[in-house]
Amino acid sequence: MKHLAFLFLFFLTSQTVHSWKKDEFRACDQTPFCKRARFRKPGSCTLIATDVSISDGDLTAKLIPIAEHDHDQDPIKPLTLSVSVYRDGIMRLKIDEDPSLDPPKKRFQVPDVIVPEFEGKKLWLQSASSEKLDGNTGGLISVVYLSDGYEAVLRHDPFEVYVREKAGKRRVVSLNSHRLFDFEQLRVKKEDEDWEERFRGHTDTRPYGPQSISFDVSFYESDFVYGIPEHATSFALKPTRGPGVEESEPYRLFNLDVFEYVHDSPFGIYGSIPFMVSHGKSGKSSGFFWLNAAEMQIDVLAKGWDAENGILMPTEQSRIDTFWMTEAGIVDTFFFVGPGPKDVVKQYMSVTGLPAMPQLFSTAYHQCRWNYRDEEDVENVDSKFDEHDIPYDVLWLDIEHTDGKRYFTWDKLLFPHPEEMQRKLAAKGRRMVTIVDPHIKRDDSFHLHKDASQRGYYVKDASGKDFDGWCWPGSSSYPDVLNPEIRSWWAEKFSYKNYIGSTPSLYIWNDMNEPSVFNGPEVTMPRDVLHLGGVEHRELHNAYGYYFHMATADGLVKRGDGKDRPFVLSRAFFAGSQRYGAVWTGDNSADWDHLRVSVPMILSLGLTGMSFSGADVGGFFGNPDPELLVRWYQLGAYYPFFRGHAHHDTKRREPWLFGERNTALMRDAIRIRYTLLPYFYTLFREANVSGVPVVRPLWMEFPSDEAAFSNDEAFMVGNSLLVQGIYETRAKHASVYLPGKESWYDLRTGTTYKGGKTHKLEVSEESIPAFQRAGTIVPRKDRLRRSSTQMMHDPFTLVIALNSSQEAEGELYLDDGKSFDFKHGAYIHRRFVFSNGHLTSSNMASSTLGNSKFSSDCVIERIILLGYTPGAKTALIEPGNQKAEIELGPLRFGGQHGGAAVTIRKPGVRVAEDWKIKVL
Amino acid sequence: MKLTLSVINLSLVFFSLIISSHESSSSLPSNSFLGIPPQDEEYFNGEIIKCKNGSKKFTKTQLNDDFCDCPDGTDEPACPGGKFYCKNVGHSPSLLYSSRVNDGICDCCDGSDEYDGKVKCPNTCIKAGKVAIESFKRKIEVYQEGIALRKQEIEQAKRAVARDKAELSGLEKEREVVGKLVNQLDELVRKLEQEHQENEDKMREAQNEKVENEKNGPEENADNQIEPMKTSDVEKRWQSGKSPSDQNEKDGDDSSEGLSREELGQLVASRWTGKVKEIDQAKNDQENGGQDAGYKESVADNASHQSWLNKIQETAQHFLNLFSAPVANLDANQIRKEYNDYTAKLSDIDSRISSLTGKFKHDFGKENEFYLFYDRCFELEQDKYVYEVCPFKDAKQKGGNSETLLGNWVEFGNSYRLMLFTDGHKCWNGPDRHLKVKLRCGLKTELTGMDEPSRCEYAALMYTPVLCLEEKVEEFKQKLESMNQVQEQEQRWGHDEL
Repeated sequence: MKHLAFLFLFFLTSQTVHSWKKDEFRACDQTPFCKRARFRKPGSCTLIATDVSISDGDLTAKLIPIAEHDHDQDPIKPLTLSVSVYRDGIMRLKIDEDPSLDPPKKRFQVPDVIVPEFEGKKLWLQSASSEKLDGNTGGLISVVYLSDGYEAVLRHDPFEVYVREKAGKRRVVSLNSHRLFDFEQLRVKKEDEDWEERFRGHTDTRPYGPQSISFDVSFYESDFVYGIPEHATSFALKPTRGPGVEESEPYRLFNLDVFEYVHDSPFGIYGSIPFMVSHGKSGKSSGFFWLNAAEMQIDVLAKGWDAENGILMPTEQSRIDTFWMTEAGIVDTFFFVGPGPKDVVKQYMSVTGLPAMPQLFSTAYHQCRWNYRDEEDVENVDSKFDEHDIPYDVLWLDIEHTDGKRYFTWDKLLFPHPEEMQRKLAAKGRRMVTIVDPHIKRDDSFHLHKDASQRGYYVKDASGKDFDGWCWPGSSSYPDVLNPEIRSWWAEKFSYKNYIGSTPSLYIWNDMNEPSVFNGPEVTMPRDVLHLGGVEHRELHNAYGYYFHMATADGLVKRGDGKDRPFVLSRAFFAGSQRYGAVWTGDNSADWDHLRVSVPMILSLGLTGMSFSGADVGGFFGNPDPELLVRWYQLGAYYPFFRGHAHHDTKRREPWLFGERNTALMRDAIRIRYTLLPYFYTLFREANVSGVPVVRPLWMEFPSDEAAFSNDEAFMVGNSLLVQGIYETRAKHASVYLPGKESWYDLRTGTTYKGGKTHKLEVSEESIPAFQRAGTIVPRKDRLRRSSTQMMHDPFTLVIALNSSQEAEGELYLDDGKSFDFKHGAYIHRRFVFSNGHLTSSNMASSTLGNSKFSSDCVIERIILLGYTPGAKTALIEPGNQKAEIELGPLRFGGQHGGAAVTIRKPGVRVAEDWKIKVL
Repeated sequence: MKLTLSVINLSLVFFSLIISSHESSSSLPSNSFLGIPPQDEEYFNGEIIKCKNGSKKFTKTQLNDDFCDCPDGTDEPACPGGKFYCKNVGHSPSLLYSSRVNDGICDCCDGSDEYDGKVKCPNTCIKAGKVAIESFKRKIEVYQEGIALRKQEIEQAKRAVARDKAELSGLEKEREVVGKLVNQLDELVRKLEQEHQENEDKMREAQNEKVENEKNGPEENADNQIEPMKTSDVEKRWQSGKSPSDQNEKDGDDSSEGLSREELGQLVASRWTGKVKEIDQAKNDQENGGQDAGYKESVADNASHQSWLNKIQETAQHFLNLFSAPVANLDANQIRKEYNDYTAKLSDIDSRISSLTGKFKHDFGKENEFYLFYDRCFELEQDKYVYEVCPFKDAKQKGGNSETLLGNWVEFGNSYRLMLFTDGHKCWNGPDRHLKVKLRCGLKTELTGMDEPSRCEYAALMYTPVLCLEEKVEEFKQKLESMNQVQEQEQRWGHDEL
């Protein structure tokens, strides 16, 4: 018996090495809709567009089959099609069942994702022109205006929709060019039919039967496609099938809590954004977004996949074909014309909203662990940061802080004085974050459960009872956050009155909101579970976490009377989640591969709107050796969201636990982030205004530099910094590609490197490769503090990296760091330009926002000139005609030895004012 | 608290210097030596000063001009890399990280770290100095009282060592006598058995064939009746699927089908938490633990020892006499009983000897001051658990029905200021549990805190008079004296100024 038990333990232990339980998740060929769709051959769609007209400002049509085939099958009812056009180069295509033909059920359209302002951008189409393809020999098309230089086209027979350039008629994005379009219409079940699906002991009753949709989308002038997170894989999406490609699973979009996910797989993990971006040699980008929250599977097809199907495609344009499949919902798709990568991102964000402006503290360093055990532990960790002079802003509490995993409560033994604990942190300008998950413990003595069940606010199982699933607390139910009333109820739970023990310095972490259901199929909720108005879970699954995140963020806004920006970190996400807060890449592992894959994952998130994202520094599962941990801090310092986190079975890994040398290295990495906070905050504002992400792929800044297209080792922080991680142990060298024609300056030493070239660089343990691009100005704050809060009044340093014409420019944004007053004009936004030996500061703030003002007494204490020929001795400051000395000064402070550079000492000019500094 | 944690305390050697420069510690800091330790002032006296890391030079006017010239902060105690010296007159001076200067938080008790006027920091040095003196005095008192207790403890330990040594030598004698006796009884018993066997063989040959069938049947049945009941019980339990080991088995098969919904939930949860496994392991260990108790049996105490030894010797003599008698005359049962009794006795003695010898192998400290810790266990109730630390043996965590071994005794560490236990129960996905017990001077020997800084790495705090060392008190007294001097000086100065 003992023997047996031992063997057993051994088995379990050995299993943890490769623990991704692949079998527990459905592959495409175990998923009937996906299997069916993947079997379809190009050309099998026989739908044509009829009744084409303009109505209500849209181009509308009916889709009907060209000929009756297969008399055994149900007759195909006409589908309705509409093409709408929105400002700035956006075309929307909707296809649904015709409501006037009484389908058995209204198909689900995802609510509350498209921002209300979007409808205001609609262009009311007046007319469509008809053309014949191929010089009047081909089929008929209807053409409408899309934007300057672009047209939207509906081809009638066979039906095809695309966007093209007006001049030259070159295509941009098209749908159904390969006639793979298929729309399974809802119908009444026949007697001999079995619609149930079974998977590993779970039965999906599928009361509405098959209702999937699939179609092909082609991107033109395209060499790579990107986006559709969340997958742990390369940034440029590898083909999943086609000639010369090892056939793999399609990219799956299905929010799942995957235990120990692997680092190179198209498999679906915590979040889903069905938005793809293409880019090619021409320097142009385009995009395609499908607003649909059901399970989605996407194939990227290798060139030549369609060689034998006889469909003629324009051959003069390079092209990438993709194939999109979903289990339910409707076709509600958006085509973005670009043409620049930043344009595509902006166009997508005008549909789904701009990223929220975060509080300043949340852009600094976060310290988390499952779990900081008790108040003493919290106090101890907090004081150790001070003892080692390492700054941090937020201390996090995971699930064990609660009373039996009842969120909004505290374990009375471990955390008897939560308010006092938070106040102690707040006295040093620090915040706390506690976890609040969507599973509510089914315990009648728990007020939240009582309240939710009495009000009928839980998601219902197929039989209409409250759905009962298993999660951390044991038996649990889940609030139906699809319902706005329930979201509003949930939001109220965050008021100081309701959340006992919470204070204004407490913020929230939403975990497990895929939702994770331990005893559910694929560790999530059964698809036949019911939401508001009889909506099946299958129809909105990928958006559940989004609505939960939304409700929580709204709760924090309400809590602070609308005066305090919320901070909510979520694990699950959907298109639009950028409006509600940050996300992280979930339960990664402490190995080099996961360090490496964090970069493409964060790039994909940023490209699809989720600008505020990061990976757990150190890796959640397992124990990183000190070298890996140091490298992770060095890279993590440039993640938009920078948090150290660890599983409760791992050894403690706070930055001071690995000897003096490693402490110094991690301290230095964290300090770099703190000195760059003004730059990061400016970038967060840029994202908030334009949607351009904080961390970007190289090609977003250098769209024509082909060598950068598939580079996902390095990334840009804003337009000025390029960073590349060190992804292997004991690295002596690193090959770093520096794009563009201008030079780059090593951030630490100031050494110059040529652009457009791969450099083989020596690597030390002290830092990872990081460079400032010539022609940019980066604002810093060089004085170190306990937390970002104390940096408020500290003076700025400007680092001017001059290009070959001795010019540079940059920006600085600052506000109070916490309130919404910036929306009414209470901020400072400066533009710095250096040219002809003059540095000028001018106002960039919009004057139309309102009367609210933000003032700052901060001055610029130092100006560093990189690439400036030494010799000048003084600088003259206008207005006032004051003089400042110029000398050689250090590039960095406090840490390792760095380089020296020409420095203007103590110009003392105020950041809020206009001024000019002349180098004499 | 904040001061001691976040500040580097300076040695008291500099106290005289502070007092001499007292006048300059006025509230508005305009002097260029602000934040510079007095012993460093000389370094900054020249017109051209070097950065300490040699990278650069700066002029006297650049010293403390609110601009960082040196990359290491030499020119500016408030620059990254620099340290800011607080005089803290009336209390201990301290060196702050530059990050604390003018950050809006009062760090030094004299408030000199916040000189930009954004916040006003009251001078709390006198008060803090007094508090520090008071708490230091209390500490000395505890030590002084503790030293007396420690002496008592050592005396008692001495006596206990002597007692144990006497017992051991007594036992060794006893072992000789009883050992002989057992050997003789053994011979006698064998003799008896041989004869008995011969008789039996003859009888059996005669009866063999007849009896065989009748005899075997019923016995076999009786044997089998118990077994099937057991198995069916086990099966039932397995089928009902409520035991944790059941879930493990299923996971081992990597098949979650056929589990109840609750079981599946628990199973999946256990991947993150490892809880299922721990239950299983705790159970195993309980089974193991049970066996230990059986080995120990108390041996008669010293007082009755002597008479008992005499009795044995008498008995031995009695059996020696029997040896010469013919076998047939002996009471076989009686002899077997005696044999068994004395064998048991012998094994008790052996076990006691080995336990005493084992005990003496331990290191009980320079003066055997930890001798009385042997066979003692110290308990602490904390949160949901009771912790039991038994020096020289093991340490456990008890909660509910489970008991977890935190470690087995290894040795003292850090000059007898630490007890180390390792090789406890293995953690799921983690290391073997281990425990470090820090020892501090206190008036009672007690366990006062248990912590698990990393998963399965435990740390406890134990107070005991054994740690109240005399030489420490002298050191403390000297320190107290200098603290008092500083206070007195400050009060005199303060008075003069008025």
